[in-house]
Amino acid sequence: MPNARVLRDIKARQGVLQNELLRRAYLYVARDQRQPPQVRHQAQLQLNTFGKYTRPTTVKNRCIESGRGRGIMSEFGLCRFQFRLKALNGELPGVRKASW
Amino acid sequence: SVAPSALAALNRVRCQIFQTAYNPTSIRTGAKYLRRRLRGPSMVKYYPPYEALSIAKIMKQYPEWDIVDEAEQQRLRDIEDKKKRGKGAPKKAKARG
Repeated sequence: MPNARVLRDIKARQGVLQNELLRRAYLYVARDQRQPPQVRHQAQLQLNTFGKYTRPTTVKNRCIESGRGRGIMSEFGLCRFQFRLKALNGELPGVRKASW
Repeated sequence: SVAPSALAALNRVRCQIFQTAYNPTSIRTGAKYLRRRLRGPSMVKYYPPYEALSIAKIMKQYPEWDIVDEAEQQRLRDIEDKKKRGKGAPKKAKARG
């Protein structure tokens, strides 16, 4: 059973996927200088009404093994300790101890 | 040499012919937000599917294969050892009211 925080993150990602087009459309209208200011303002207010599980800023890469929020290496999706465990075990292709 | 009005007219006709965006005053149109690629599909694929395939599922589906879940057996053995040592889980407290 994944972490509670990981479940929240999954929920946020799905929300972002569903609302991305709508948000993009509102953003376009809100940033278009050719539109009258009232229309732009209305679009910006609509953007503000979106809940937190629809905003891409709420999405955070977490460790896929442990659910840790910090120290994530994005190439592997693992936190630093899980990365170390797997790398020493040989489960990460092409990763070996550095020495130079 | 060439009048700026002529150049502006040329720009307008050029954009019309080649079907490009005509923006002589360089006003911000918000087109850059439309040009950006969508991030939703790649975001959703980040976590591996939760419990897509587990030993318990295979055991239930093919009971004739007689699969033994080593991790589960080890866990049960650890619990038995702890009980022998007197370190088992304490009795559940009966809540009064």
